[in-house]
Amino acid sequence: MQTQQIVLAVVVAAILVVAGVAAVILLREEGPAEEKIVYYTTMAPSLMDSWLAENQTSAYIAWEPYASSSVVAGTGRVLMYSSEIMPQHPCCVVLAYDPFVEEDLGGGVTGQVLTLRFLKAHIDATEWVLDALADKDGANYTLLVDMAVQFTQRSSAVVEEAFDHVTYGYQMDAEFNDALEQFTQMYVDSGLVTNESLVNLGYANASVFVDDYVDESYLVAAEAIAPSPTILNPSDPIRLGYLAGDLHQIAQVVALNESAFGGTSIFEDYGLNVDALDPFLNGNAEMLGFKMGQVDIGYLGAPPAINKRVNDLTDTTIVAQANSEGSSLIVSVNSDVNSLEDLVGETVSTPGELSIQHLLLKIALNREGIAFVKG
Amino acid sequence: MVGNEVSIQMRNLSKSFVKGKRSVIAIDGFDLDVIDGEIVCLLGPSGCGKTTVLRIVAGLETPTKGQILLRGKPIIGPGPDRGMVFQEFALFPWRTVRRNIEFGPEVKGDSPEARTAASSRYVDLVGLEGFEDAHPKELSGGMKQRVGIARALANNPSVLLMDEPFGSLDAQTRNLMQKELLRIWAAARKTILFVTHSVDEAVFLADRIVVMTARPGKVREIIEVGLPRPRDRTSTEFMSVRGKVLAELDEEFEKARAKELSPD
Amino acid sequence: MSLTANTLVGLRKLVASRWRELALGTLSIVLFVCAWYVASWYLQETSSGLTPYVPSPRAVGEALWKSGSFLPGLDRYTMWDLMESSLTRVVLGFFVALVLAFPLGMFMGSSRIAEHMGKPLVEMFRPIPPLAWVPVFLLAFRAFWGPVAIVFLGAFFPILLNVMFGVKNVDPTLVDAARTLGAKKGNIFVKVVVPSVVPYLMTGVKIGLGVAWMCIVAAEYTGLSGGAGLGYYVMLSGTGSQYSYMYATMIVIGVLSILTAGVAGLLEQRFYKWSGMK
Repeated sequence: MQTQQIVLAVVVAAILVVAGVAAVILLREEGPAEEKIVYYTTMAPSLMDSWLAENQTSAYIAWEPYASSSVVAGTGRVLMYSSEIMPQHPCCVVLAYDPFVEEDLGGGVTGQVLTLRFLKAHIDATEWVLDALADKDGANYTLLVDMAVQFTQRSSAVVEEAFDHVTYGYQMDAEFNDALEQFTQMYVDSGLVTNESLVNLGYANASVFVDDYVDESYLVAAEAIAPSPTILNPSDPIRLGYLAGDLHQIAQVVALNESAFGGTSIFEDYGLNVDALDPFLNGNAEMLGFKMGQVDIGYLGAPPAINKRVNDLTDTTIVAQANSEGSSLIVSVNSDVNSLEDLVGETVSTPGELSIQHLLLKIALNREGIAFVKG
Repeated sequence: MVGNEVSIQMRNLSKSFVKGKRSVIAIDGFDLDVIDGEIVCLLGPSGCGKTTVLRIVAGLETPTKGQILLRGKPIIGPGPDRGMVFQEFALFPWRTVRRNIEFGPEVKGDSPEARTAASSRYVDLVGLEGFEDAHPKELSGGMKQRVGIARALANNPSVLLMDEPFGSLDAQTRNLMQKELLRIWAAARKTILFVTHSVDEAVFLADRIVVMTARPGKVREIIEVGLPRPRDRTSTEFMSVRGKVLAELDEEFEKARAKELSPD
Repeated sequence: MSLTANTLVGLRKLVASRWRELALGTLSIVLFVCAWYVASWYLQETSSGLTPYVPSPRAVGEALWKSGSFLPGLDRYTMWDLMESSLTRVVLGFFVALVLAFPLGMFMGSSRIAEHMGKPLVEMFRPIPPLAWVPVFLLAFRAFWGPVAIVFLGAFFPILLNVMFGVKNVDPTLVDAARTLGAKKGNIFVKVVVPSVVPYLMTGVKIGLGVAWMCIVAAEYTGLSGGAGLGYYVMLSGTGSQYSYMYATMIVIGVLSILTAGVAGLLEQRFYKWSGMK
């Protein structure tokens, strides 16, 4: 009889605990009344289109081509382009590792020289992309789409749709700096960067920091670079970092391509031996690569470049822009969500709290007085 | 003390065990009658099958051949009418003394009052007043065995089966427990079938001693002790019975040793 | 006596009887914190690249304190919210595992057929680290239940296997004794087998609880789960390079893990005292 009592007691205890826990969960659902909240979950962009299609999420914001993939598949439609949230907002940048730039390989070949030549190749490649996009009937456009399809592993329909919403460019102007400053300030507000850490680095505030972090002098000097018949760094390749399948970074794909340009790549034309590393999953991983000295020059989003520079003391400098805009907020094609207000109470997927997409959506929501909270 | 009715009848009992490819015949052609109220001792060399006989009476083993009857009815399985006391005590460690003793009545379905009455009675009988709420781990070896005896007796069995019950105790406690057993037996008036290694113990306790042969075991000799109780271990009569038993036993020990050196 | 009075008396007794243990234990922790101070100071002085990764004990302590009302990078959440989230999942997943594994273990341990049928399945799934199931579960279950399912898987097998082992290791002499006292199969199971299994169950529970905490951290990493938990914040704070907060969160996880194990241990002691087995 005693044993039966024990068993009964255990079962009752288990039921009580489960019930109590369930009650707590259910009661928690009620937040402060009257406040408008949109919830978010974070996940890899490559999963987002299928989650939307299966109604596991009400909306998502991601960079191209992951936004267009839903649209082309007919499961999603664009609620808002990132350009509507912040026109011409910077997105991906070209980042150089300071110790690499300061290196001297001998024979007049320094990291600085290599960086300048790299940027010239980046400029040429970007111009080529812009020209190709301007003439959709031209042979270069087809070439570009092919390269993009290979790189992103998405169909040409998706890629073509995506290209319409990305703006490529390399210039860094005052608005560029202002936007980066705004992102930095947002980080400070949410605690991801502290004023203290900025001060420790020697900057009084975000503005001073950004002005120092962005260095346009390289771009300016690069304009004058001429092609080179020989490879300047045959045994010391520039280790190139980039994000997997990120259409924003198509310039480096173009610059590496040999067959499209008669046997030699744009990099080679400028005398550069470039070694493209295995793609990084996200900007944070790439910044870790920088910190460990495995990356010399890389393409990645501006926010992780900022965050890790300040917090991890990763010695880098922003030397060019790669693209602006090029992200969208996608909702289900047959949902009746037509404004951000309609998303109140729903859950949106973002690539992570540190991503630019998350920051932009937060800006947009906060403008309407809606809070953005993890759900 | 000893009645006239035959309590247990064993005829031509045989038991073989299969171990892998070999089959071992533990006992073969074992005959014995146990009379109501007597103490019978099974004595023999190791492996002679005395424990097997006991377990067959308990119903924990079934004989391969032969017949076994309790008061005329065949024994089919274990039951509270044949209470057993184990060498390792086999007390339920999570139960108190009282609740160990109450196990049988509990299983039978007795009311709580009846159970308490029974356990109190037997606690007193075996001399463990005051320890009713102790747990086995708090008890000495001798005390544990008292609980074992009380637990078996609480079901009012026809016969008490004891498998080397004092084998785990030190010499002094053993002697003490032997005397205690006689006292309890006198009070409870049970038939006892008892397995032991110790000649001394057998002569001290038993009415009849059954000396078994080496494996396969059967009855070699039944010796009537015939001494009045309480028995004096140092008396000449005691010594003489002891000598007789030893004589029978030694030969069987030799045979057992020979068997060990060349297993079949 | 009131509960607080009881606890205080208990604590006083504990300190009195084991003061040497406590003193040595405290000493080793103090020494560790000192070494940590020195390490972070040294890295700072030499401007080592590792400096951000080894915040001083003071910074972590501050982070721990502030986390009660604010978590960098995660709006509207405090450490308390994270604790509640993760604790809920662990307790839920663990209890479901207990309620399922205990009877199943008893069954598989006592029935040959059940064992032979169950064994291949168990041996197939047991070695798979629960974390490998993360992608599958998070797609199959509604977001909150994914991590709970991972915890369940982690705690289930230790409990199941220990209970099975316990059933097979029931002292056969006790079973014999019960039979000679008139017990038949049902009573033998309830009155002999079940109580014998309890110590083994307790072992399984302790192991299962430990595995559950390991699972919850990794299961929450992905951020697909409903509400943020401790594991999620370890990931987020690391990603955002807020290392003081990351270590603070890890400390909280460790403390909660110890506390739950402590509760399990207390219940175990209670049971043994009541049943007199140890």
